[in-house]
Amino acid sequence: MEINKICVLGAGVMGHGIAQVCAQAGYQVNLRDIRDELVESGIGKIRQFLAGSVERQKMSQMEADNILGRIRGMTDLAEAVRDVDLVIEAIVEDINVKKDVFRELDRLCREDTIFASNTSAQSITEMAMATKRPQKFIGMHWFNPPQLMRGIEVIVHDRTSRETLETMVELCKKLGREPGVCKDSPGFIVNRLLQIWYNEGLNMFDEGVAEPRDIDTALKAAYSFRMGPFELRDMVGLDVALASTSTHYRELMREQFKPPRCLIMKVKAGELGRKTERGFYEYQPRGG
Amino acid sequence: MSITTVCIIGNGDMGLRLQELLSKGDFRIMTSRLEEDYAEQASSADLVLEVAPEEMALKMEVLKDCDTRCRKETVLATTTANSWVTKLAAATGRPEKVIGLNFTKNPFEEKYLVQIVKGLQTSDDTVQASKEFLEKAGVSVARLEETPGFILDRVIASVVNEAAVMYSAKLATIEDIDRMMKVCVNWPMGPFEFADSIGIDRIVETLDSLSQQLGPKYLPCFLLRKMVHAGWLGKKTGRGFYNYAK
Ligand SMILES: NC(=O)c1ccc[n+]([C@@H]2O[C@H](COP(=O)([O-])OP(=O)(O)OC[C@H]3O[C@@H](n4cnc5c(N)ncnc54)[C@H](O)[C@@H]3O)[C@@H](O)[C@H]2O)c1
Repeated sequence: MEINKICVLGAGVMGHGIAQVCAQAGYQVNLRDIRDELVESGIGKIRQFLAGSVERQKMSQMEADNILGRIRGMTDLAEAVRDVDLVIEAIVEDINVKKDVFRELDRLCREDTIFASNTSAQSITEMAMATKRPQKFIGMHWFNPPQLMRGIEVIVHDRTSRETLETMVELCKKLGREPGVCKDSPGFIVNRLLQIWYNEGLNMFDEGVAEPRDIDTALKAAYSFRMGPFELRDMVGLDVALASTSTHYRELMREQFKPPRCLIMKVKAGELGRKTERGFYEYQPRGG
Repeated sequence: MSITTVCIIGNGDMGLRLQELLSKGDFRIMTSRLEEDYAEQASSADLVLEVAPEEMALKMEVLKDCDTRCRKETVLATTTANSWVTKLAAATGRPEKVIGLNFTKNPFEEKYLVQIVKGLQTSDDTVQASKEFLEKAGVSVARLEETPGFILDRVIASVVNEAAVMYSAKLATIEDIDRMMKVCVNWPMGPFEFADSIGIDRIVETLDSLSQQLGPKYLPCFLLRKMVHAGWLGKKTGRGFYNYAK
């Protein structure tokens, strides 16, 4: 199926970046959030990003204007999805809110419109089955920031049609992105394997085998990982890390995903990583 | 204690490569082949580094031999990749002076990481002296208590194991799993590329010893065992997760 017009739901961290990438590839994009100021804030960030690109001579002012011209911000859902071929959902990570939105979209959209969710941790299957078009339902998992990260996980569930999958893979390529297909399962490919990598590092610290600095150094120096597991955990935030590990543990029900003791204790202590200036490492106050 | 004179004992490339690597520090370095009489060299060294083939008996023989020939303050280091350090140390009369120094060459850059492995009886002084010595040579180091797979093999084998579980369950293809780890989170290689270059047999050995020490969650995915049975050991046999034969 040919995609021409796209609606992105949610103008937050992910939604505005996704809308920008789609518009840059020449698609007409409706960017929808629930309040005007949220829509404006998202579009403001796109404008800022594009201005930066113009300044660094990565694109001309005219190109930037054209990209912005292809994005329409709005709050009215019916208007946002009118005549679109694809809806990319990037709203709050709450399965019930997402299911409600998709049920409503089911009524508002053309029968052949594809629904894609950018969820990181909710079940594609569960959302798909809340609609009357499970064969048109698929996961499209972007990475942050969408403007810069080249990979997209395309998530299929048992009833996703081959045509929907093919359309999606094709679209990713047209967006200049590299798709990887995965069946619906907790953490998909990337977050699931990352979890193991983090946990093994942290487990060794728990066992008294080595210190964070030595474990991080080993992985960076021997294999050129850009950051070690402790550094990356500190950067993302240890509360976020604990929540994510716990979700994987609960959903996959395997010991490999059990939250390491050191992570639990850090969160109890309120030492959440860079944002609190102390996590597995200590950091200088920001701007100080 | 400061290390200025080093004796490398072993045949083959590794000894030569380590000599070249360590020559960046201001040390006196001697290299001796296994079958040569290294008594004199060993007796003048502050640190003896054995690079004998990866067989416990061989390494033990070299270390015991050095134990009788070296000064009593000389550090005896083994390059073993296995968790034999405590055992090798106990075979000498100076277990507090025996340490593991396991060298890993970075596959992408001209640099090494040395895992400094502390056996049960290794003294803190021995660890510290070894660390200072390696840092003078400009090598990155990571210290650890002796544990199966050390740091690197343990992390990588665990990731490979999970990736093999996912591939066996037909969640995604080998190529897509590798590619996503590289493009979505900038991993230097995907898990299957790691597996094929380290060797599937090596991965399974690491997982087996981890599961023996730390429990069944480390048991190797059956696919990995079947690959070992089939002789699909990775790049070195031309077939692993990928096919390297022309
Ligand atoms: N942040 C990340 O790194 C990341 C990465 C990959 C995937 N995701 C996923 O993307 C989704 C969005 O995450 P985010 O980080 O952009 O969150 P965010 O909080 O920055 O943005 C969510 C936006 O959705 C809006 N919203 C809520 N209900 C809505 C509705 N009914 N219709 C339209 N907009 C609505 C909110 O007002 C908010 O502006 C989540 O499912 C998240 O799991 C996030």
